[in-house]
Amino acid sequence: MTTVLTSPAPSLGSSVEARRTGPSLPTLVGLEMRKSLSHRSGRAFAASAALLGPVGVALAATDAEFGWAAGPIGIVGSMTGLVLLALGVISTAGEWTHRTVQTTFLLVPQRGRVLAAKTAAVAVLGATLAAVSAGSSLAVIAAVGVDDLNWDGTGQALVTAVGAGAAFAVIGAGAGAATANTPAALTSLYLLIMGVLPLVRIWNPDLAQWLDPAEATTVLAQGDAEARSIAVLAGWVVVASVAGWVLTSRRPVQ
Amino acid sequence: MITVSGLTKRYGDRTVVDDVSFTLEPGTVTGFLGPNGAGKTTTMRMMTGLVPASAGSATVDGRPYGELPNPGAVVGTLLDASAVHPGRTGRTHLRLLAAALGVPAERAEEVLAQVGLADAARRRVGGYSLGMRQRLGIAGALLADPPVLVFDEPVNGLDPEGIRWMRDLLRGHAARGGTVLLSSHLLGEVEHTVDRLLVIGGGRVVADGSVASLLGPDGAVVRAGDTAALRAALEAAGFHVEPGDDGALVVPGARPGDIGAVAAAGGHVLLDLRPVQRGLEDLFFQLTWPEGTLS
Ligand SMILES: Nc1ncnc2c1ncn2[C@@H]1O[C@H](COP(=O)(O)OP(=O)(O)O)[C@@H](O)[C@H]1O
Ligand SMILES: [Mg+2]
Repeated sequence: MTTVLTSPAPSLGSSVEARRTGPSLPTLVGLEMRKSLSHRSGRAFAASAALLGPVGVALAATDAEFGWAAGPIGIVGSMTGLVLLALGVISTAGEWTHRTVQTTFLLVPQRGRVLAAKTAAVAVLGATLAAVSAGSSLAVIAAVGVDDLNWDGTGQALVTAVGAGAAFAVIGAGAGAATANTPAALTSLYLLIMGVLPLVRIWNPDLAQWLDPAEATTVLAQGDAEARSIAVLAGWVVVASVAGWVLTSRRPVQ
Repeated sequence: MITVSGLTKRYGDRTVVDDVSFTLEPGTVTGFLGPNGAGKTTTMRMMTGLVPASAGSATVDGRPYGELPNPGAVVGTLLDASAVHPGRTGRTHLRLLAAALGVPAERAEEVLAQVGLADAARRRVGGYSLGMRQRLGIAGALLADPPVLVFDEPVNGLDPEGIRWMRDLLRGHAARGGTVLLSSHLLGEVEHTVDRLLVIGGGRVVADGSVASLLGPDGAVVRAGDTAALRAALEAAGFHVEPGDDGALVVPGARPGDIGAVAAAGGHVLLDLRPVQRGLEDLFFQLTWPEGTLS
């Protein structure tokens, strides 16, 4: 419990009990999770992230047979991750787009603290939604897959999907904080991951495998190139978060 | 107490806030007045740490805003009423702020009622009018019942009833010992609300004082049965006299009593005698446009 003062201002004799200190980090993380889900666009992205996997798997099942569970789970993990990028972007860039960042920083002027809370909040949301997506996809696969379905590596595939969910949401939050502009952050992330990196893969596959976070997720879920894949995802998380933090701490709130 | 000292903001080689200093005392409403572009908003943003100052400092009870442990519980700020997520309801918006401030969630209902938005609490802010958003912004600033209120152009979008309500709110806050800084580019909107005027023009403070001291009587107008005779008597008594409209005489720097005494001594018949106040708008114009219309 934080200390409570009956009067924040001795001069005023206020009747309202306000906390004397700033919000604790867990309070801020919870608050940022609530903020992410407090409007339709946030809830829509969350619902899409949770549903994309099972719906996609069910649709794919009409056209193909699943013999190995880990393969499709890896693909579901990276697709869900791409949706969770948007959830992360909205949590940071959305505040600049709607200018709510003004109130956020008026109440908690330590910008690094706000960003840390947002990072943790979208990581928890991303991991949870990715777990729902991967778990329900797995249930669909179990229902529609071949009778002697290969369950090898399912555990690692699920863990990868959940971890990638957290990582992509955090990458989105970092990119959103760096650009302070929702359309710009989303366009550049999707253009890079879905447009530029596939071209790099054609031109120089060795380089691309060290750059592409979606490919890293799929590969890691299938139990291949584990160290490299983790390094690629971690690299994206670190670069995006540091860029977001550096640029946010200097940006004037107009 | 709020102390602003030498606050300066430069954008490139333009100085938009230039060495602004003032203090705000508990129990007063200070009107921060100046035409659009004078530097009011920039000053307020620097005071609250949203925009870094090029020079100078601002402190609340001796500490920079950003170092207050829970600043929203000390300073209630309304800067930009449109800075609310349009997809949230008014109630959700305030409950999120209440959680950040550490006040009970029920405070959201109390301030919604206080600003007259109880019926709109469940509606999304995207559908609010400018005046409603302004009230929502004020509700947010009042959540923790902070001792200091800093409001930037709060009456924008409010109807006359809303302006009167705002006046009562701010006067009541000062009467309880609170400190209020209220900016406006229209004197008429705040002239009955403020105790003190802080006038800013071109980024500089050009006047700072009580309303009475800045707008004190500036002379008298008199009409007499025999204008020429009264004029001669006044000039003989050492007053400078100027012709006014319709044969009236304007006597700058004189109080009506001074003129009455001269008239009584000389047996002059007076048809009209009253003080002239320097018009608020005139003063404002003169102070903020230095090269303006001084006669
Ligand atoms: N980010 C900025 N870059 C350059 N000039 C700015 C910026 N923000 C404000 N200004 C300028 O600073 C001056 C003061 O603006 P402002 O503080 O908003 O005035 P006011 O609130 O009194 O209308 C204006 O001339 C405005 O154009
Ligand atoms: Mg302004």
